[in-house]
Amino acid sequence: MKYTTFNQQVTDTMTEPMFMGNPVNVARYDQQKHQIFEKLIEKQISFFWRPEEVDVSKDRVDFQKLSAAEQHIFISNLKYQTLLDSVQGRSPNIALLPIVSIPELETWIETWSFFETIHSRSYTHILRNLFSDPSDVFDDIVVNEEIKKRATDISQYYDDLIFYTQLWQTLGEGTHTINGETHLVTMRELKKKLYLCINSVNALEAIRFYVSFACTFAFAERELMEGNSKIIRLIARDENLHLTSTQHILNLWAKGKDDPEMAEIAAELEDEARAIFMKAVEQEKEWAEYLFQSGSMIGLNKEILCQYVEYIANHRMAAIGLGQPFDVKSNPLPWMNNYLNSDNVQVAPQESEISSYLVGQIDSEVSANDFEDFEL
Amino acid sequence: MDADVSDHLIVVTDANDGEPLTLRPSAKASILEALEIAQVEVQYHCRDGFCGACRCKIIEGSVDYFTDPLAFIDDDEILPCCSRPSSNIKIEIPK
Repeated sequence: MKYTTFNQQVTDTMTEPMFMGNPVNVARYDQQKHQIFEKLIEKQISFFWRPEEVDVSKDRVDFQKLSAAEQHIFISNLKYQTLLDSVQGRSPNIALLPIVSIPELETWIETWSFFETIHSRSYTHILRNLFSDPSDVFDDIVVNEEIKKRATDISQYYDDLIFYTQLWQTLGEGTHTINGETHLVTMRELKKKLYLCINSVNALEAIRFYVSFACTFAFAERELMEGNSKIIRLIARDENLHLTSTQHILNLWAKGKDDPEMAEIAAELEDEARAIFMKAVEQEKEWAEYLFQSGSMIGLNKEILCQYVEYIANHRMAAIGLGQPFDVKSNPLPWMNNYLNSDNVQVAPQESEISSYLVGQIDSEVSANDFEDFEL
Repeated sequence: MDADVSDHLIVVTDANDGEPLTLRPSAKASILEALEIAQVEVQYHCRDGFCGACRCKIIEGSVDYFTDPLAFIDDDEILPCCSRPSSNIKIEIPK
């Protein structure tokens, strides 16, 4: 079915499935099939923030005090998060908007992606402050083998769904040969690809950020890189909300509260969904290994980070009916919760966001008068 | 009875040592705060009803939400961070 930016057929969005029904037409929210998505939009907008509000100038001094191993940990995590948000800033829009069928979900997807672009801009804000020219850091993201491994897994489900949606929207259902490769396009196949894609995104939002978050907050526990930590707390708050949205989509499908065919597919592909999650867990553990290859940091090591990934994975897999595959009984990093608590995310300017309110801040304005009492 | 104390009891089937624990929360405390005061280990992140990290099973009773829960919760689950008991309740904390 060809995509149209304004479907002129009369449709009833109250009876449309979330995806793969009729294309949307009027962006109306007076009647909603799944009200949760509008609530998520409102919540997300209430979280609005700008990277520039957070003063990161003290981080430059802190960064120079870090050991080489700690600098590797810090920069590698920023590279990985930059990759994740590069993908997330565009992919929900490109993959999901062409097939969405209810306006409240369409607007949620756009809101969600927009916030990922704030995250991307914040990494530049952090890195510009640390390096006079951060281009080496950004350039490495596309060639770094450890990051590339993860990029492949993160983007493949999106890319697959996007390609098959393009075939379906231009050629319709059937067997199509493109550049010598044969592709079977049926509604069932498309829905399977959609199901796997949402599971992959859910795993991404659920655990892929958390090794990086743990390192950031471990630095903050030592009162280091606190500007960065403040930004990452804002990002973590957003990511928890994004995770809630994919959990809702998956559970609406699995519980038969949306498209009945998606409920069948959820049952049929449960093992594949679990495998996607388990692979993400494995990759995060490998990432912890890569981070600590040239030395640990105070308060964290590879083992405890891997346990934390398993602990988080247990909770997040249980939330979508995938059970708790790991044997971790208690939270190995309980102090993390203080940083993930949205009550603690500062909003008042006098608290620290605006540098002019800070005590002991770095004043980057230097005038000729400042050297008046200076003698050589 | 003390006005600051809730009319309802919370029974945790699997407190830290796996043993059942009964507690009477203060009237204003969320269930999560009541559990923390009783030193029951429970996971949380946002404490604002949108992330679902503190999700618990409810076996008996009912709760009132003082913040609209946005996180996914199944029919037999509650979010302790944004609710108070509206009857005596029995809950199970996921490990």
